[in-house]
Amino acid sequence: MTARARLFTAVAVILYAGAFALSLTVRSAMPRGEEATDVGRIVSAKVDKTVAVRTTEDVAAAIREARREGRKVSVAGTRHSMGGQTFYEGAVVLDMRRYDDILDLDTAAKKITVQSGATWEKVQEVINPHHLSIRVMQSQNIFTVGGSLGTNIHGRDPSEGSLIETVDSFRLMTEEGKIMTASRSENADLFRAAIGGYGLLGVILDATLRLTDDVVYTQHTSLLDYKEFPDRLRASVESGSTGLVIARISTAPSGFLREMYMTEYMDSSIPLADADTRLNGERAVELTRFVYGLQRKYGWGKNMSWSLQERLFRSNEGKPITRNNAMRPESGFLEYRDAQKSDLLQEYFVPLDRYPEFVDGLRTLLREEPINLVNITVRYMPRSDESLLAYSRQDSAALVLLINEKRSPARLERLKGVTQKMIGLAEQAGGTYYLTYQPFASKEQFRAAYPAADGFKAAKLAYDKESLFMNEWYAEYLR
Amino acid sequence: MKAVAMRYVMLSQNVMTLGSGIVFPFYLISIKEIGGDFTQYGIAYGLFTICSAYLNGYFGRSSDRFGRKPFLLLGSWGMAALFLLFPLVTSIWQVYALQVAMGVFGAMQRTCEKALLADLTEEGRRGEQIGRYHMGLSLFSGLAVIAGGFLVDYFTLDLIFYFGSVLLFASGLVLMRVQEKSGRAGMET
Ligand SMILES: Cc1cc2nc3c(=O)[nH]c(=O)nc-3n(C[C@H](O)[C@H](O)[C@H](O)COP(=O)(O)OP(=O)(O)OC[C@H]3O[C@@H](n4cnc5c(N)ncnc54)[C@H](O)[C@@H]3O)c2cc1C
Repeated sequence: MTARARLFTAVAVILYAGAFALSLTVRSAMPRGEEATDVGRIVSAKVDKTVAVRTTEDVAAAIREARREGRKVSVAGTRHSMGGQTFYEGAVVLDMRRYDDILDLDTAAKKITVQSGATWEKVQEVINPHHLSIRVMQSQNIFTVGGSLGTNIHGRDPSEGSLIETVDSFRLMTEEGKIMTASRSENADLFRAAIGGYGLLGVILDATLRLTDDVVYTQHTSLLDYKEFPDRLRASVESGSTGLVIARISTAPSGFLREMYMTEYMDSSIPLADADTRLNGERAVELTRFVYGLQRKYGWGKNMSWSLQERLFRSNEGKPITRNNAMRPESGFLEYRDAQKSDLLQEYFVPLDRYPEFVDGLRTLLREEPINLVNITVRYMPRSDESLLAYSRQDSAALVLLINEKRSPARLERLKGVTQKMIGLAEQAGGTYYLTYQPFASKEQFRAAYPAADGFKAAKLAYDKESLFMNEWYAEYLR
Repeated sequence: MKAVAMRYVMLSQNVMTLGSGIVFPFYLISIKEIGGDFTQYGIAYGLFTICSAYLNGYFGRSSDRFGRKPFLLLGSWGMAALFLLFPLVTSIWQVYALQVAMGVFGAMQRTCEKALLADLTEEGRRGEQIGRYHMGLSLFSGLAVIAGGFLVDYFTLDLIFYFGSVLLFASGLVLMRVQEKSGRAGMET
């Protein structure tokens, strides 16, 4: 290099170093912050930062730092809640997904202790070789145990209530960084408040869950009218031989809110040794995804998918399947990341006998104010009122609505209005709605559906005196 | 000697690819974080490409007159400077503006890189030489994407911009070692 080139290079290096330092200085002076949202993507907030938790000490350190800086803390699993339950403006979000060790599996007592960031999928992989199975989980297995505890989820097994009933104990870290154990005999109030407590009492570190045996079911699907459903469902549940049950009510124009399928997974006499106990991988989901896409967009897509399902069920009729495999159906097709639209879930619990009345009301309402209803599944939710924020205080039909909606303010405002009417229908029928989804309910509706709300708030403040734990949902309804 | 110049050009462009490659595939996330969606991503990316489209011809002609090296240098150092601005972005409009500026530097880089390749390769062996050149480049862009994913996962998005910026600047330093006889004549070191 010539002397001139050397000088040129030196000047360039100095200028660049200066620019680099300047950029770093400005950056560190800027308020920290990142956009946080959940799979619903209709609520979002600028949070301070997300901490990927790996160890218990990470949780403690994040809590200490947040307190020092006067920030709130939110807790997040896979963020499949849909109404700001996992973040808060300016808060530190604890991402628990990597805090996922299996701590203990006691096959004799049929109990497992897992860290809260573990997904059901991971739990299934560990327990399947021991012929054990989860008692209560969602229809899919992609969620974390912590998120499931935070919302006190429920699933397809009609002989089980909500998740809380299968929990022996858990350990929770409080705002002071103290680790408390909660069970029915120790800190029972914490036990009842934190399960279904939306991360507002503290961070659930790990939990001990009761398991059941993996068994072989055979599948049976029948077509029925919505009016017959309560009796048919009750008969199925009372038979004692129905392991899992799931129904669908048509959202297709042809049989709109009248025709139903009910699929029962019945106990079979097939020994596990004779069955295929390997866990299903995710099968090719592209076709289902495509059909779902048509179902989202078109009335004829909904008709087609409804009749395709009939064919699918017929081909599965009588087919044996293990409980573990029945509890990990494909879900990849549900992943939906449209630039403008979201798939939104809602769930209503209505006393079983008043199901037809609710469906009639829903049909009338949705004819007047149509929404793009892609799918409705119906499950059985027996009375389960142990959690303070219990949603099923009597034997209920639980209807999950999958709605495809554009995320524009006007469309969401309209959906909010329709949702309040649907909640009104559920409450008229003596039912409730699920808190895990959009924060569309009015405050009065929330109070009516959750009479223990004040008790819940009192329990939170007893354990979380400074209200360190916070999320957008709580801020909307209870603060 | 052309061969030596070629080696430095190759090294410089590999580092350049590494620097931009760790950023580009993950760039979407940055727009997402400031609240954008796929439409805005499309606009941002389209702006980049369209801006560089018009300038390619211009820079190509100018480099015939003034040499490739000044443009390549400006391309990578300019890009390095822009990467330092990304962590400071707070609105989608700033992203659009940066995209336009990147389009300008991108055009310099792309056109002059190709022209320089043509200068430095020999008739009769051109395919072989360009093939070798591209092999290195593809390798580095693959590595860059892997490294970028890792960095975003374990560190912050800002970090990949800073990291990418340093690499882009370094690629310019390597280029300084290439000596170019002005105008259409070849290159020597
Ligand atoms: C496609 C789909 C299907 C679904 N199916 C069902 C279903 O069949 N049955 C059902 O009941 N629900 C269902 N849900 C709702 C879902 O179960 C809940 O949203 C559940 O919370 C998801 O778990 P997650 O790991 O994503 O939790 P997140 O959404 O991340 O968190 C949920 C709540 O739990 C809190 N939380 C998370 N981890 C912890 C922790 N370690 N300690 C304390 N609090 C914590 C969070 O603060 C938050 O308030 C479904 C949702 C979707 C999107």
